[in-house]
Amino acid sequence: MTGPDRLGGLSAADRTAACLVALSYLPGLGPATVRRCHLEHGAEESWFDLVAGRPDRIVPVTDLAARGRSDLPAHLSAEARRRDPVADLGRQAVDGRRVHVLGARGYPDRLVADPMAPAVLFSEGHLAALHGPTVAVVGTRNATLAGRQLAEELGEGLAAAGVAVISGLALGIDGAAHRGALRSEAPRSVAVIASGLDVVYPRRHAHLHAELASRGLLVSETPAGIRPDAWRFPARNRIIAGLADSVVVVESRVAGGSLHTVDEALARDVPVLAVPGHPSAPASAGTNALIYDGAGLVRDTADVLLAIGVTPPPVPRRQDPGPALPDLGPAERAVLDALGSTPSSLAELVAATGRTVGEVSHALARLAAANHVREAQGWYEAVGARTAAR
Amino acid sequence: MFASIPSAIVVGVDGHPVTVEVHVGKGLPGLSIVGLPDAACREARDRVRAAVLAAEATWPAARITINLAPSDTRKAGSGLDLAMAVGVLVASGQLETPRVHDLAFVGELGLDGTVRPVPGIVCRVDAVQAGTVVVPLACAADAALVEGPAVRPVTTLAEVLTALRTEPAEWPDHPIPAVAGPAPVVADLADVRGQTAAHEALELAAAGGHHLLMVGPPGAGKTMLASRLAGLLPDLTRDRAMEATRVHSAAGAMVGGLVTRPPYRAPHHTATMVALVGGGTDALRPGEVSMAHAGVLFLDELGEFAPAVLDALRQPLEEGVIRVSRARFSADLPARVLLVAAMNPCPCGEGGRPGACRCPDGLLARYRRRLSGPLLDRFDLRVQVFRPEVRRLLGGDPGPSTASVAERVAAARELAARRGVACNALLEGAQLDDAAPLNDEATQSLATALGTGKLSARGLTKVRRVALTVADLAGHRGPLTAFHINTAMAMRIDVVGTRGLAA
Repeated sequence: MTGPDRLGGLSAADRTAACLVALSYLPGLGPATVRRCHLEHGAEESWFDLVAGRPDRIVPVTDLAARGRSDLPAHLSAEARRRDPVADLGRQAVDGRRVHVLGARGYPDRLVADPMAPAVLFSEGHLAALHGPTVAVVGTRNATLAGRQLAEELGEGLAAAGVAVISGLALGIDGAAHRGALRSEAPRSVAVIASGLDVVYPRRHAHLHAELASRGLLVSETPAGIRPDAWRFPARNRIIAGLADSVVVVESRVAGGSLHTVDEALARDVPVLAVPGHPSAPASAGTNALIYDGAGLVRDTADVLLAIGVTPPPVPRRQDPGPALPDLGPAERAVLDALGSTPSSLAELVAATGRTVGEVSHALARLAAANHVREAQGWYEAVGARTAAR
Repeated sequence: MFASIPSAIVVGVDGHPVTVEVHVGKGLPGLSIVGLPDAACREARDRVRAAVLAAEATWPAARITINLAPSDTRKAGSGLDLAMAVGVLVASGQLETPRVHDLAFVGELGLDGTVRPVPGIVCRVDAVQAGTVVVPLACAADAALVEGPAVRPVTTLAEVLTALRTEPAEWPDHPIPAVAGPAPVVADLADVRGQTAAHEALELAAAGGHHLLMVGPPGAGKTMLASRLAGLLPDLTRDRAMEATRVHSAAGAMVGGLVTRPPYRAPHHTATMVALVGGGTDALRPGEVSMAHAGVLFLDELGEFAPAVLDALRQPLEEGVIRVSRARFSADLPARVLLVAAMNPCPCGEGGRPGACRCPDGLLARYRRRLSGPLLDRFDLRVQVFRPEVRRLLGGDPGPSTASVAERVAAARELAARRGVACNALLEGAQLDDAAPLNDEATQSLATALGTGKLSARGLTKVRRVALTVADLAGHRGPLTAFHINTAMAMRIDVVGTRGLAA
């Protein structure tokens, strides 16, 4: 069983780390309480009190119990007796993964002063990414093609300018930002994930997860093996906000989860920037509202760099004139005009252009072949719609 | 002391001749029915006795045995009542045997001697082995549709007795109720405004016999559109009409004349397997799919149907016939339908529109997983419909009228007939190669789609069929071009794929 003797072989720092990791595994104990245990009661002290069946001595735990969870302390004690902190710590440090303890050496400087910094943090990859300027690029999972393209552009441009791009590895905007940043020559892409570092979520980003681990940086406050419960996503958003010099929201609906990251950023005086969209576009309703409320407006990478005071790299920006539109017929032009920046279905385009289904379908097929339009599940989107609109 | 009266039963949509043999002999007075009668059939003894007494005939105080031959098939329902009553009267000497020579009887008896209508009259009359068949008056119009036996409509058992006691038989001269064929009130396509793309999809479906799936939010007019599809189809040929009439008759409906217009059936999504594909009791009633034979079957809220029920539709959609088998017997129910289905794209109604749909990925996947890939594959046309703008609903031009579209549909079906099929959707392998050669550009389009995985090998055939219909409707002759192929592919969206392009 667990006891002081089992921890005896470890250094003082490792003992603290082991206890914090073990505390993080306990169901019912969130990051906020683990943090208080660490700072107010001491990690080791807390652990031994739990194992010895004296949870009432730990003030953060009794506070939790006072909030209507009276059976929690006993429950925590029982759970704690079943755990082995040494083994728990051992599980973290495999495959080059690191454990960072708040207050100890190696903990990211940016988070030390954070009011809600996690007591223990796990990372994999190149920590150097956090040493320069950082920008969080976030947004909705269900993004438009234009939104994902812009996120990718921002990711690539920022990374090329030496700015680390932080995001959450979610589908949509997050993934696009990471992908863009990884494409630059010096990939500076940081993913703060809600699961343990060894748990890939979402599964569609397995490749991105692996690439970030080897060429970028993966950060999480969740110990290995833990699936991302729903509550962990908003919790991880505070780490994104805490690590970033500035938060850019690319696309978000009115009640999008990325607005939670914005709240966390505002609470930390981190400037918030947003990409505008057409007033009728649901995907931009949230970002338009942010701009109305005073968020800085982002059109391209230069706007972001200006906002965080980084000089753009001397190399001239890759001139991407967008796809050339050489020999478009009238039907193609009409369809492209009608497509605008909102994803549309065939039926909507037929109604908007007043042409036949055949004409519109054929035009769309030709536009898709020339890579001006992309289709998925019957939704057509113009490639580079934002670029064209500028 | 013995009588043998021809009659008929219905199994599935087929009539089977049955001989009602009656023996009246010595023994304890009573009546027993043998020859696998079901409950309704066995109860006939009480009805028959009351009806005979009501017709002021004598119920023999003797041992009566009724055998329903062939005695190894199950007899369901009450359609043999009249034949049993006549048999008892003949066997007990109240009617002379020669008087019922070459006469068959079909009908249910009421306790007061009324002769009541029975389901499946068309199938039964078709099957009876006699030159003349006596039927309930209410069924007379349907019975008269069958070429062959002469039809004698009656209203009561007493009328039958009166007729058979005179020489020659004086059958009552009931005017056959001319049930005006229910004037098919099909709403006009022009009523549906602002749905150009959906109109064209309907036209393609009608012209080529392509199954159609409409995906769109509530209020987009999917049901309105589907209900207008039957009106676009040409009148049924004599053979198809007779098949449809038999199905409707077997299902118990008073058809009231030949079914000449394609039927339209829209079962609710709570329909059970039996209600949809048919089966059930010993009679093996035809289900909704068969009721829609030669017409349109509309499944609204496709995702809400029980998955097992939907999967049971796959075989009939492929073969045009449902083989319902039970331990003792089986029946082939006709089921060549044009399937139209509608579904909401997702719980929030935005249909996964990038940037607008609020449904979490998992929910979306679960919602769509209800539809099996093979079933979705049966739909040659899969289109999105959307809520039209208000100004188009109120002010916009009316769509094309049903009459004008029906004319083009008929012309396209004429072309298909020249290729040897009823519609392009039935073209197979070599026929399709002959009818729909591709030009270079079209081949290139298809090759690209196949290469990118947008199109499967099975989808390839379907796209070619639809493209041929597109060309037919446009009056195009000669090899198909990329225009036709692209149109066909655009009307075949991927409903269950993952959201977003490279999320």
